[in-house]
Amino acid sequence: MTVTRRGLILAGTGLAIPLAAPRILRAQSVREIRMIEAGGKSGDSMEPYIRPFTAATGTRVVRESPNPFGKLRTLVQAGRPPVVLFEVGSTQVKQGEALKLLEPLDWNAIAPDEMYPEAKLPLGFGWQYYSTLMAWRSDARAPKSWADFFNTRDFPGKRSLQDRPYMLAFALLADGVPPEKLFPLDMDRGFRVLERIKKDVAVWWTAGAQPPQLLKDNEVQYAAAYSGRVAATPGISYTFDSAALDCAYLVVPRGVDAAEKAAAMRLLREFSRAPAQAEAAAIISYTGPSPALTPLLPQDKLAEFPTAHRDKQFQHDVGWWYDNAEVVERRWQQFKLGF
Amino acid sequence: MSATVPALGLAAPRPAARRRLGAGAYALPLLAVMLVAFNLPILAMLAQSFLSPEPTVAHWAELVQTPLYLRVLGNTFWLAAITAGVCGLLGYPLAFWIRTLSGRAQLVALTLVLMPFWISVLVRTYAWIVVLGNGGMVNRSLLGLGLAEAPVSFLYNTLGVTIGTTNVLLPFLVLPLLAAMMKLDERLFQAAATLGASQRAIFWRVFFPLTLPAFAAGILLVFILTLGFYVTPAILGGGRVPMIANMLDVLINLMPRWELAAAISTLLLVATLGLFALYRAIGARGA
Repeated sequence: MTVTRRGLILAGTGLAIPLAAPRILRAQSVREIRMIEAGGKSGDSMEPYIRPFTAATGTRVVRESPNPFGKLRTLVQAGRPPVVLFEVGSTQVKQGEALKLLEPLDWNAIAPDEMYPEAKLPLGFGWQYYSTLMAWRSDARAPKSWADFFNTRDFPGKRSLQDRPYMLAFALLADGVPPEKLFPLDMDRGFRVLERIKKDVAVWWTAGAQPPQLLKDNEVQYAAAYSGRVAATPGISYTFDSAALDCAYLVVPRGVDAAEKAAAMRLLREFSRAPAQAEAAAIISYTGPSPALTPLLPQDKLAEFPTAHRDKQFQHDVGWWYDNAEVVERRWQQFKLGF
Repeated sequence: MSATVPALGLAAPRPAARRRLGAGAYALPLLAVMLVAFNLPILAMLAQSFLSPEPTVAHWAELVQTPLYLRVLGNTFWLAAITAGVCGLLGYPLAFWIRTLSGRAQLVALTLVLMPFWISVLVRTYAWIVVLGNGGMVNRSLLGLGLAEAPVSFLYNTLGVTIGTTNVLLPFLVLPLLAAMMKLDERLFQAAATLGASQRAIFWRVFFPLTLPAFAAGILLVFILTLGFYVTPAILGGGRVPMIANMLDVLINLMPRWELAAAISTLLLVATLGLFALYRAIGARGA
């Protein structure tokens, strides 16, 4: 068969109709929703929630990553975001609110099972708890507190800290500030303490995968790390004592299609189910927002799960970080550059 | 077809001009795509530094008044200068040596120079950690041979970033330089020799000046390309070598301060265009 121009035009018209069809059908039932999440194993741990949702509604869920905040802003500013759920950090819920990037959640439609209060925000669904904690090579002297971690004389070795100003909180704990008095954060004091340890910080990490690798390669002996990245890693020890407990949120970009948003609310209900959260915790050692979760987790591995150690940890004052973002961010860069 | 022949005949006195116009027409769709999909968005982004949220110079004032951003820009130019210098020092002798090789050996040497092009920047950058890290091949050898007491810090400092950028950018200097060297007329050197010039004099007074435009252009190219590096300083700098691309990432994705990022990008673009003009001027002199 020879290819003719007429044939191509006919074929093109034929293709266009099925391509346009989903748009027409979407009014009745949503065939597919898209979300942007952090990726990696954390993203895979969303499947235990997505599976029952798709089984019940027939709506497929497409996951994409990564999730820089700039992308959320672009999606909203471009109008009619094609992505109905976006994963952000706790301070970014505040940022998103201030920049008017977010759509309120419909908690009545979500009708969730019981959740921790800070996970139920008007604009954000806290779906996954994680901790930033101190980790060290098992052959290095074990620190008991942040004071030990910052004491390079008695605990010699290179450090790796996250390249984010949140490290100020650990510095202040090391300097003797009690966790309940951390906020409002004493920036000057925090930076003074960080200044002491600076020359021993070999790497300021930006990706969660870096600390376990740096510890394994013996590039550093002590590191602040995400709990799920070091849990059950041979040769690496860690403690949840005085760790920072934080939560990742799912938000709805402003201007999404109403039917898609309704489907997303239905999906969020699955995220509140404790049994599904236990399944997710088996994929990566982060935990969902259900207070009823701990008994459902594998009891021999409780040491790995952030919410199983809630009482030992502190939580950041998200409002303080938001209010002081500009100043603290600039001072952080200045501190790192040494002026 | 035959009907067009007389028309062509009319244009015959200026065939070159016609050909140029024809080739230009073929490029028009591409030009349109570039304009709409690349240049306009860039201009819109840069305009944010003046127009968002309303016409203002506040973002520029902030940029100029905050030493941090200027220092990071300065550091970026400094690192670009180091990389350009190192590439020049390594690249010139390398190109000179490749030129002297026989055909087959030249091919092998060129392949080796080009090899970095075929490997992803990310893989190559991580490979340096395997080679130069505290537990890496080089440090294990140094310690094993007793040449070092403690692991040498190759990485997570300016040295590490320079190694990474040089590795990526060396071909950009060597290839055009080698091409320029190959074009040189051997008879010039024979003539110099018959007039009694020593080998050294021939090199410094004939060969080197003739390759200088290509050499300078190559160095400038490496300099310009280093300005935009992101992955290499992020991984091999350990967060301790500030480069402007990494600062822009913070401003765009974390803060998000797009207006300020736009101002910094504009400054960087202007500086780069200035350097590019210099590069073209040098290239034109060489030709």
